[in-house]
Amino acid sequence: MTQFIYGLLLYIFLMLPPVADLVESIMITHMHMQMPLLVISGMLMGGILKSRFPRFFEKWNSNGIPGITLFMIIVIYWTIPRTMDEALTLQSVEIWKFISLPFLAGIPLRDSWKKLSEAGKNIIIIIFTIKYFGMGALYIWTPDQLCNNYLLIDQLTLGWGFVTTAICLVIYLVYTYTVDPSEYE
Amino acid sequence: MFKNRHNTIALMVVIVFGCVLFFIGTDGFKAYTAETARVNDLIENKPAFPDVTLEDNKGRKYSIAEFKDKYVFITFLYTACGTVCPQLELNMAEVYDSLPSKYIGEDIVFLSISFDPERDDPATLETYRKAFNADGETWRMARIVDKQELESLLSRFGVIVIPDGRGNFTHNSAFYLVDKNGKLLEVMDYTKIDEAAEKVESILEGEQVSKS
Repeated sequence: MTQFIYGLLLYIFLMLPPVADLVESIMITHMHMQMPLLVISGMLMGGILKSRFPRFFEKWNSNGIPGITLFMIIVIYWTIPRTMDEALTLQSVEIWKFISLPFLAGIPLRDSWKKLSEAGKNIIIIIFTIKYFGMGALYIWTPDQLCNNYLLIDQLTLGWGFVTTAICLVIYLVYTYTVDPSEYE
Repeated sequence: MFKNRHNTIALMVVIVFGCVLFFIGTDGFKAYTAETARVNDLIENKPAFPDVTLEDNKGRKYSIAEFKDKYVFITFLYTACGTVCPQLELNMAEVYDSLPSKYIGEDIVFLSISFDPERDDPATLETYRKAFNADGETWRMARIVDKQELESLLSRFGVIVIPDGRGNFTHNSAFYLVDKNGKLLEVMDYTKIDEAAEKVESILEGEQVSKS
């Protein structure tokens, strides 16, 4: 229950117009701060749903694959340059962002992650690594301005943000393959 | 077994949902950036060039009616721009040069419009014109002094200009072709010079055929 309240508070905080305006004014905080925080708020709020409707999640998402697929679809959708642009110019897209990221990405992620096997988790991380390198390359090396509402320099910053995140994911993957935590226990 | 069936159904539903979401979100996999969506939308709706007063490099003032019965090939720029605009104008010059000269001035005029009227006065535009070898008649450079008029044109043609606070602007660029009645006919990729030139020429040719 406390988790739910923290999640809800975070969600409401992100919705406050000054907060939303501030994080959306910079491209990288829009994508790499506001969007993940929305997912996290959903994850925090999702616990209560899991305990209320355990059978629903057990029945439809017993192996975690449908949930994680939904999570990936939503997250990938929000990295399309256009969706980010339109979240700024169209109210309906902005509302859709605030609904889809917590409830269609955050909640399924919480429910699915633990159900995935180690290999399954790594596959997901590998997919995101490739995607983030790809998106980073796209934002850094396209001569065009992909988003009309942001400066080109913002786009470059975001591109490097993607690449940095991807590098961190690679480090994590290397770590999981080379280090066996039980040796240190 | 039953468990797995439910999972499969859920997965199918999720995938179908994903396809629908991406289909709608990209106008049927056609527009992944807001810019593509904007151009598609413009070509479909063909907005009219609003009634604004242009002031050109020679200080002459007129509205778009000055070019009545001619096509107008338009770009938007500001002369202090060091990045995209010079390229845009160079590419425009290439389109200008590759069109058969019989059309130039007769059926089509070229017009570069500045969205920075404070700095781009006629004298500055005159210097800029010379830099690109524009003749100032069949290829003119103009500003729109009235802020509201400028805004109306930019918003109608979907030109998004963001000042970066250091005297520069980030803006989207394209070739615009306005028809003889002052309606937007085409928005073309300014990096594909040959494609744009061919398209304009074929439109002008079509006009010749229907005249004779």
